[in-house]
Amino acid sequence: MKRLVQGNEAIFLGALKAGASFFAGYPISPSSEILILAAQHAARDPGFKFIQSEDELAAANAIIGASLAGAKSFTATSGPGFTLMQEAIGYAHEVEVPTVFVDLQRVGPATGMPTMPAQQDIVQTNYGSSGDYYPLAFYPNSVEECYRYAVAAFDAAEESLSPVILLGDAFVGHLNEVVDLDAIEVEVVPRSRPPLGTGKRFFTGLAHDEQGNPSTADAVVYKDWLAKVKARHEKVAARYSDFEFKGNTSSDTLLISCGIVSRVIAPLASQFAMFRPIRIFPMLGDELREHAAGYQRIVVIEANDGQYACLVERQLKREVIRVPLLGGRINLDLAKKGLSEKLGSEVA
Amino acid sequence: MFKDLLKLELFPTTWCPGCGIGQIMIQLAMVMDELGLDHTNSTVISGVGCTGRLAGYFNVDGVYTLHGRTLPVAEAVKLVNPGLKVIVASGDGDLASIGGNHLLHAARRNPDLTVLCNENQVYALTGGQAGPTTPRDTSTTSTPAGAPYDPVNLQNVMKSGAKYFYARTTVYHQVHLRKCIKEAIAWPGFAFVDIVCHCIENNGRRLGFNSAYEMLQHFRKTYKRAPDDAETLEPLEIGIVRKG
Repeated sequence: MKRLVQGNEAIFLGALKAGASFFAGYPISPSSEILILAAQHAARDPGFKFIQSEDELAAANAIIGASLAGAKSFTATSGPGFTLMQEAIGYAHEVEVPTVFVDLQRVGPATGMPTMPAQQDIVQTNYGSSGDYYPLAFYPNSVEECYRYAVAAFDAAEESLSPVILLGDAFVGHLNEVVDLDAIEVEVVPRSRPPLGTGKRFFTGLAHDEQGNPSTADAVVYKDWLAKVKARHEKVAARYSDFEFKGNTSSDTLLISCGIVSRVIAPLASQFAMFRPIRIFPMLGDELREHAAGYQRIVVIEANDGQYACLVERQLKREVIRVPLLGGRINLDLAKKGLSEKLGSEVA
Repeated sequence: MFKDLLKLELFPTTWCPGCGIGQIMIQLAMVMDELGLDHTNSTVISGVGCTGRLAGYFNVDGVYTLHGRTLPVAEAVKLVNPGLKVIVASGDGDLASIGGNHLLHAARRNPDLTVLCNENQVYALTGGQAGPTTPRDTSTTSTPAGAPYDPVNLQNVMKSGAKYFYARTTVYHQVHLRKCIKEAIAWPGFAFVDIVCHCIENNGRRLGFNSAYEMLQHFRKTYKRAPDDAETLEPLEIGIVRKG
């Protein structure tokens, strides 16, 4: 049935569709709707478990415990809470725990501008925890995609045995659009690992050998483990190389944007070519290079001071033009103004 | 046999000679054996520090969590799988300092968890720094002039809840230790066992003890049994206080 659905609700319903049965979270704007929906759902369905945690550290670790115990689990947070969760994200990578972290970005650092949208957790998503790890992350830009990629996040988590990040922003989370969620066909991947209470395994945040026994001073064991995990993540990532590209033969300029910014600047497609990454991490490489090849100027327009632009530069090995939209002001006029200044010609 | 519950192939353990954690491990294994707990119906979860390694020696699915995060993990495990007996074993630094907020709130929510706290009164693994349970004036590597603060009162923290189970025992009093673990596992809620334990290598020698044996004798002499009907344990008493 077609109806008006909010982005946050679509994320929650996507999680349910994927088979999630556990949510732990700590209230924080602009993600609190997801926590409230989870609480309401738990009150109706005794099979769905809910904890309102004492802080984000507890929430992040609770979803890890729930996953080990056999539930598909998730949490939802925003910038400062996501920072507190980074420790647990690193742990989940070390222990190879499938779970999902939803992060709806707001203006930071710190408490920043709690209700204003941003894209300032891009780097944090990829590099926020200690050590080397290879996170998978999706960044939808519509209510329908919130649903679709919530399911994909749970699927990819099970396939990669790792925590997957579903990025959004205050605008995408609070976007209301008419969609028919029942008509969206998705694939659901079953649980990948037997739950606690079925074996004699040891799940440890220490470096460990194949049996799970701690191995804290053997470089060979560590490198073998890292190579195995990296290969698995690359393989899973290849299955989700999702992006949107609209070429423009009359333009020499490619605009790269994601999330809410891509929606806001959509009217500029008549003047520029457009590229939008959806699987935001691991970075799209060949896809970016192939579609950027025909364009003289590459512009990354984003609601931060060049976080994604830096990563695009590294992939393309050429300079990109940065158009930052800062302070939670994301609109077409500001985007045109920024583009006009950086491109040296009026963008109408 | 309780030995079947332990991964003997990993012995000798990582702990220093004379360490008291082995006693906690053996007594827990004996109680689990007595209660019929094994890999099909129980899990052992521990945090970071010397005691953190304990879970890895049990022949059940075990989890070694992040530092301080045993309780959020354990509480979620119990919620998802209520049929599983969930036993948390960790140090005082892990449970009462870096995990202190979780201790406060897990106790308040009162999930059916058994928590064994190795109270060795020091950060042992990192080299003998003062911890949340270090007695005032004790010399440690981070308090060369003596610990300036009083230790956290774990009994009072537990008793701040409407329902609680708090046991204090020592690794010297093995029969009592076993009784406390057994009753904690049987308790239908959050049960906290405060196990006073010696650390000879990173605490005891600095305090003037020559051996683990001397520290155990010190526990024997200083800790007395509280009356069975005690509502509060005095500072050097072992016993159990509870309210269901």
